[in-house]
Amino acid sequence: MTELFWNQHAAWPLLATLQILPLAGAALLLKLGERPLATLLGRGVALAELLLAILLYRVFDGHAAGYQFAERLDLLGPLGYHAGADGVTVLFVLLCALIVFLVTLYGLVRGLAEPARLLAVVLATQGLMMSMLTTLNLLWFVLASAAELALVGHLVGYWSTSPDKDRATARFYQFQSVGLAMLLLGVLILGWSHHDITGGAWTFDLLDLAGQPVPRSLGAVAFFLLFYGLGVRTPIFPLHGWLPTVAQHGSVAVAPALLLGVKVGIYGLVRFVLPLLPEVVEAWYPYVTGFAAAGVFYAALLAFQQTNLRRLMAFAVVSHTSLVVIGIFSLDHVAFQGALLLAANFGLAATAMMLMTGFVYRRTRTTRLDKLGGLFDRIPLIGLTYLVAGLAIIGMPGTPGFDAAHLVLEAGIHRFGALPTVAAALGNVAAAGFLLWAFQRAFLAPAPAGRGTAIERATAMESLIAAVLVVVLLWSGFHMGPWLELVDAPLRALAERFGHV
Amino acid sequence: MSDALTWLLLVYPLGALLVWLAPRPESARALALAAHVTGLAIAGLALANFDPAQSGFQMLERAAWIPSLNVHYAVGVDGLSILFLPATALLFLGVTLASWNAVRQLPRLYHSLLLLQAGATLGVFCAVDTILFFLFWELSLVPFYFLVSLWGVGPLRGYAASKYTLIMFAGGVPLLFGFIVLAFNHAALGGGLSFDLAELLATPLTDRQELVVFLLLLAGFAVKTPVFPVHTWLPLLAMEGPVAVVALLTGLKLGAYGLIRFAVPLAPGAAQELHWLLAGLGTFGLLYGAVAALAQTNLRAMLAYASLSHVGLVLLGIASFNLQGVQGAVLQLLNFALVAGGLFLLTAFVQRRLGSTDLLALGGAARTMPLLASFFLFFGLAGMGVPGTSGFPAELLILVSALQVHTGAGLAALFGMVLGAAYFLNLYRRAFLGPVTQPGVDQAVDLKPRELALVLVFAALILAFGLYPAPLLDVIRPAAEAWVARLS
Repeated sequence: MTELFWNQHAAWPLLATLQILPLAGAALLLKLGERPLATLLGRGVALAELLLAILLYRVFDGHAAGYQFAERLDLLGPLGYHAGADGVTVLFVLLCALIVFLVTLYGLVRGLAEPARLLAVVLATQGLMMSMLTTLNLLWFVLASAAELALVGHLVGYWSTSPDKDRATARFYQFQSVGLAMLLLGVLILGWSHHDITGGAWTFDLLDLAGQPVPRSLGAVAFFLLFYGLGVRTPIFPLHGWLPTVAQHGSVAVAPALLLGVKVGIYGLVRFVLPLLPEVVEAWYPYVTGFAAAGVFYAALLAFQQTNLRRLMAFAVVSHTSLVVIGIFSLDHVAFQGALLLAANFGLAATAMMLMTGFVYRRTRTTRLDKLGGLFDRIPLIGLTYLVAGLAIIGMPGTPGFDAAHLVLEAGIHRFGALPTVAAALGNVAAAGFLLWAFQRAFLAPAPAGRGTAIERATAMESLIAAVLVVVLLWSGFHMGPWLELVDAPLRALAERFGHV
Repeated sequence: MSDALTWLLLVYPLGALLVWLAPRPESARALALAAHVTGLAIAGLALANFDPAQSGFQMLERAAWIPSLNVHYAVGVDGLSILFLPATALLFLGVTLASWNAVRQLPRLYHSLLLLQAGATLGVFCAVDTILFFLFWELSLVPFYFLVSLWGVGPLRGYAASKYTLIMFAGGVPLLFGFIVLAFNHAALGGGLSFDLAELLATPLTDRQELVVFLLLLAGFAVKTPVFPVHTWLPLLAMEGPVAVVALLTGLKLGAYGLIRFAVPLAPGAAQELHWLLAGLGTFGLLYGAVAALAQTNLRAMLAYASLSHVGLVLLGIASFNLQGVQGAVLQLLNFALVAGGLFLLTAFVQRRLGSTDLLALGGAARTMPLLASFFLFFGLAGMGVPGTSGFPAELLILVSALQVHTGAGLAALFGMVLGAAYFLNLYRRAFLGPVTQPGVDQAVDLKPRELALVLVFAALILAFGLYPAPLLDVIRPAAEAWVARLS
């Protein structure tokens, strides 16, 4: 794999700036404390980060293979700083910057307590996520992941108003620490194996590790540790147990949007696991996809039975994430493209749904479906945004979900045959079922008796957030070309490892 | 004007946006009407520019849309589809006028959704790329979902909207798979992936593939047509949905169009092999719909089952696979836009006056609303195919071809037409004739000038094409001949 260093085509180290800017912003915010200037600054930093991400996209050369903007710094032996970006990175960096920017705006609308502290934690989380997205060192990825999850755990509990928030936080930390332990163990096995075979120094660098195949038996262990370690946070069925509780009792939209909007677990799978362990993946993919197919239906079934909008969305996420996993493990170029764009689409759409749910919660103080209803007359734009996001999740033509799901289906037919693929597509119709049902109950059904005051109309800032989401979803839905091109080259290289271009 | 079709597809979404800029709801309504009129004018212009002597696609436009999949924005029309453009635009214009004063709640949203629905429906008729077709096909579900959920007249409108949307989504799955199988086959023969209709038509399929493609497409289109036993959404929507909007469902049979445009030409061998299936579904739907319509006590439910019965006849026409059959089928589909659409618009006027279309609330309505009652009878007679109305040439063509090819089914269809007269005249007598028993009927006012003008336009077209259908048949003929030629 080739590398293009940052000083060869950029004026300054962009990737380092992407990581440091939010972290520095967060530190400054904590120092300033709760004052109007601090919150303004926080949003300014998020906006600057978004502009920076767009700049990265503009400077990025989509036709060149390998990693660009590479940065290296020898730090603590095996834990060296090594960052680089390919098309997949750029896509996720853009998504991460957009979602965090919208979340900071959302924090303003909701009027949450201690806004400066909230913004500081969100920005710090963003900095760590950028680090995970750009690093080419596996150990660095694990450590950044641990720090990021600790911060998100704080977001889950601290700003929640639910009496059960301690249970939600505890459940979150229990699951995530197990996941992190598995991830760390898997990474250590890879490093040890490399050291054992080459006899050289310990290294966790992706480029070094990729040069040396892992023995089959050890590889299988490492694969399952890494896959399920990432699977806990993604989350993949059957490791999703923490999500419904966190979604229902954690803070309404901020933490779930950061966790589920940017699908770092899927990213890690494509960036590290697939290129390092191709033979093992080839051997085990039928089992992985079997579980994922079960997950599509299992989660859809449970989603139908929920009485709380937030819990319902948690199961919706589990259901559609399984579809992404099926796509990735179809193991060819088209499938990788489809699965990654599907992951980005689901992330953005899920964020939109969660932010809109937050706006609803602000008015009704509840997300129980039987207490909602009668909202569409008062807040049509929020309702429409919710629906457009829902349609993107079920793969409606005109949203990015369609093109991406279409690619996944085509690859699925090649790899698994028509019947299993049709079945998976019908799982998507089930998703259409519960999302429409939820929309109907929450927005269109008559208002429940006893709702005292009229629902407040959408504020300008709420409308702005909703409009941005709708425009981005529809625009990228009708104009998918640039995104397909962006991820084309790196995924072609990945597919070559599996011999299916 | 070579880009008329793109303008046609653009004018409706643009109108939907403009509606939100209008200062007052009344001006929004007027803007929506202006957009519909412009659309109708462009559709008329496209028809004027259409060269009926050619059998292939005309006014083709093509632009890359998803290059990596070789999916294009490709639109074009031929003799089978061109006439649907003005018919669709006219019906939408009628629906807009029929709900002019009836929509009190969120009028801007109503009119912009109706405009979006019109754009998507016209897209279905114009698309010659299967994925673009699928896009419009699915897009046409969303505005409809809202129109039914928010402005429906029945208590179960939410359920009806969800049921319709989900059944259509489920039907979309086999449809998309059918198109993907065709694209794969094109790729397997060395041409790369292709979703272009003309290229796919030129690509041979093995017998087995043809069977798979035909069954997938048939399943996808059957739910929308609708065909027994997947028709249950239609009576439900007719009862729960907004009455004027349901005219779009009974007036525009997109599923039957899909069968003619895609399912049969793309898999001609399998279609002919399964002619008994098509003819059987058609005949059964025809009789079942007619018998079910006999049992109804509500005008809307009766019209819904009548629509099921009529579309059965269209299937029978398609299943004959000869020139008269397909010409009759297309003519009958166009006739629906005028007759079934017009009947539902009249029913909407009844609903608006009496708050109900049930027999319990009617009785003797002809005494206070003589004009409305006369037009209802006229449209009903056209639905039965009485000579002099546009229903006559269409049904005659279908019956003649059906009697040639499927004699038993043709005889059953004749019997179905007798049933058709029975259910319509019976319900008409009980609803409109006899003494007035209900106070609401007593005070009802007859058609107002706006309503009368609308109905007169529909009635004039029905008469004109009933007495002189030759121009329409001339437009359809070359494409229909090509359609039949593919089958032999």
